[in-house]
Amino acid sequence: MAAPKTLITGNGDSAHALVVVFLRGGADGLSLVAPLQDDGYYRARPRIAVRQAEAVKLDGFFGLNPLLKDLAPAYTEGALAIVHAVGSEDSTRSHFEAQDLMEHGGEVAGGWLGRFLRYRPNLSAGALSAIAFGRAVPECLRGAPAATVLRSLDEFSLGTKAAPIQKELESLYQREGGLLGAAGRDTLDALRRIERLRATAYQPAGGAEYAKDDFGQGMQQVARLIKARVGMEAASIDLGGWDSHLNQGTIMDPLMARLGRGLGAFYRDMGAAMDSTTVVVMTEFGRRVTENSAFGTDHGRGSVMFVVGGGVKGGRVLGDWPTLKPEILEDPGDLPVTTNYRNVLAAVLKRHSPDADLARVFPEFKLEPMPLYG
Amino acid sequence: MNFTRRQFLHAGGVTALAATTACDAIPEALLIGRRVPPRGEGPFQVPTGETTDLVAHALNRLTFGPRPGDYERVRRLGADEDAAFAAFLDEQLNPSAINYPAAENALRRFETLGEPPGELFEYQEKLLLTELTRGTLLRAVLSERQLYEVMVHFWSDHFNIDPSKGDCKWLKTADDRDVIRAHALGRFPEMLRASALSPAMLWYLDGRVNRRAKSADKPNENYGRELLELHTLGVHGGYSQKDVMEVARCLTGWTVRGTNQSKHSLGKVEFNPDQHDKDAKEVLGKIIPAIPAGVKREEAEILGRNELDQVLEIVGLHSATAKHIATKLCRRFIADEPPAAAVTAVADVFLRTRGDLGSTLRALFATTEFRTTRANKFKRPFHFIVSALRATDTATDAPPALMEFLVRMGHAPFHYPTPDGYPEAAAPWMGTLLWRWNFAVALTDGKIHGVKFEDAALRKCFRGDDELFAHFLGRKPTAEETAGGKASGALVPLLLASPGFQKC
Repeated sequence: MAAPKTLITGNGDSAHALVVVFLRGGADGLSLVAPLQDDGYYRARPRIAVRQAEAVKLDGFFGLNPLLKDLAPAYTEGALAIVHAVGSEDSTRSHFEAQDLMEHGGEVAGGWLGRFLRYRPNLSAGALSAIAFGRAVPECLRGAPAATVLRSLDEFSLGTKAAPIQKELESLYQREGGLLGAAGRDTLDALRRIERLRATAYQPAGGAEYAKDDFGQGMQQVARLIKARVGMEAASIDLGGWDSHLNQGTIMDPLMARLGRGLGAFYRDMGAAMDSTTVVVMTEFGRRVTENSAFGTDHGRGSVMFVVGGGVKGGRVLGDWPTLKPEILEDPGDLPVTTNYRNVLAAVLKRHSPDADLARVFPEFKLEPMPLYG
Repeated sequence: MNFTRRQFLHAGGVTALAATTACDAIPEALLIGRRVPPRGEGPFQVPTGETTDLVAHALNRLTFGPRPGDYERVRRLGADEDAAFAAFLDEQLNPSAINYPAAENALRRFETLGEPPGELFEYQEKLLLTELTRGTLLRAVLSERQLYEVMVHFWSDHFNIDPSKGDCKWLKTADDRDVIRAHALGRFPEMLRASALSPAMLWYLDGRVNRRAKSADKPNENYGRELLELHTLGVHGGYSQKDVMEVARCLTGWTVRGTNQSKHSLGKVEFNPDQHDKDAKEVLGKIIPAIPAGVKREEAEILGRNELDQVLEIVGLHSATAKHIATKLCRRFIADEPPAAAVTAVADVFLRTRGDLGSTLRALFATTEFRTTRANKFKRPFHFIVSALRATDTATDAPPALMEFLVRMGHAPFHYPTPDGYPEAAAPWMGTLLWRWNFAVALTDGKIHGVKFEDAALRKCFRGDDELFAHFLGRKPTAEETAGGKASGALVPLLLASPGFQKC
């Protein structure tokens, strides 16, 4: 049997889904992926560093926080690439400014993901092409040809009361010619598809188990919609609360557990469908290298990004590691940004739409896409 | 809680109003958010043709769609359709003579809309965007100056600014009022000049950093390019890369005080002769002479400032500009593929009247192509939502839930990132049907918070189902449509979702 076609998009059956996870609040890259072999790390963080023995070893130099252990399979199977010392050129260390710049893709109007979706060649975005899981459409999706905040799958249906309306729409759009008739019939197909989706309980594949928290449930919905081929090409999901000025452990540990478990379950559940899917995890900035007196860290610069997905030449930690030597750090003691986040995103977008005009997505920036795919 | 001076005054105003209510009748002008007054008593006359007649066509194209009673009102303006259309056009082309208390009253609460650029910085940017967006939607729904509102929408795309860039967050409100609304039915060269010197535009297209303080400085070409490509000549308008650079050089030195500099005179547009390129330039074959090295600073300032006007003089009424604007107008009002004869006729009048937009539109509406090409345009989502609210005579204060539908369909006002503005042709919008149908059902089910649809009141406006159909479609329903309406048991949502209502 032929694979189902993606409907309500004009992009035939080649749909790629890009999932952007934004860690709001400035996530500490040095705790997510610790430079275990950098002497500076333990000197700067005598009390809150990830311990050598507990870390999930990655490449001999870096180690994954044990709370992210569910990411290990994706890393060892080569589907997860990590980029370290990554971030933006914004040095205000203000959450708002840094998030704004990162989500807009520069001092430019609209969001990078919104522009990407709008300016692809042969654009014909469907109603569900971009979905934000959360309360509002994030800035990165600003200007998208369609952007839906998802609360429940029920919103995609016309409702049970509307069944007779839907039936009459079938006959009216059947008789309609041209673009409008075709779009109407396509949309009715999509509605039927969504109804089937709602009628059945979701069973994750591969024995994946999503946690009950918002992030886990959100990732499950993302997986479900991708598999149902409703034409979702971009999803955005936030995991906020990373602003760990004091007692870093109490703030970060539960978040890391949620992040690791959610991404791990998603990877497992998606299985072969991961080939046409990419998950990017990003944050607006990292944190001060030296811990503060309150067992926390203050706003810094470089952090880490994760890229999981089809075609990724993973199992690697990419990026130039500048070392944590005091003379290397950027005032007032932050991990310098050696890779601009745009270069990571550009590589991913290129895979999702090889003909995309990336200069339009990230204007006024000389792109040098990261070699994520080899 | 922090109370700004303005909020305090505003609260005081409300108290004063409440005090007035107690003893006096409230002057109409002070009523806030009143329901649109019914247009006389129903049942109303509706179109009776098998196809869209000229009056229904005018209401489709020159307005955001008819409300109950609009067809009857306009039809009665003349003895026949032609006379009625002509009278309606005369009325709509003179917007200042049209009272629009409902829209005025609904907007009174949005105090930011009247603030000068400098004062806008005292508000939270989110509030500014919210009031601007809600104001735009309410005016489109409520205003009697419909053609004016349609043109405001048109020029908002033509001179598009996405307020999410830099200080546009604060300044777009002023641009909407002082550029777009001030000139939407005025004269094109005046609108162009207002836009060139709009503080929001100077931010949006980087004119504020276009300078040449020393010979090594390269001008910023962003505005110069879009001025030629989008605002005036059009992409095939016969200019070269050299022209773009020369235009940019002429405009060096203009800037705007920004939040990134100081807290004083924010949003003020200035010309600094020391940052102006004083050498000679050549724009589209016309020489702009050098500013002599010996002249006093004041004189250099006058000459430098004047180069902006010289550039606008060259491009504003260029024949390529006339063709570009005429093409876009014909695409909006006639067809996605604008008929060449109509474009030529409209461009001629644009040139002959030196960019008088009223005369230009009059010429467009007089073309055979306009008059005979009916019900062939696909409404963009904003038009669809507004026409649905108007057709159903639904009371609304443009709440966030309504905006969400526009975001879902990718057509929220002031959300288009690049300077080319939302596309006008149908194809990019074809993916929005799901949300149109969803909206139709949610609206009529009373599921959109802050939007109140009243089925019984609507039905009272018409004799029966066939007349209700004709009101929504601008013509008699087909046999299939009538049958479908009966079978659905829910006529209004079906009508709103039907192919016929997606077109105008």
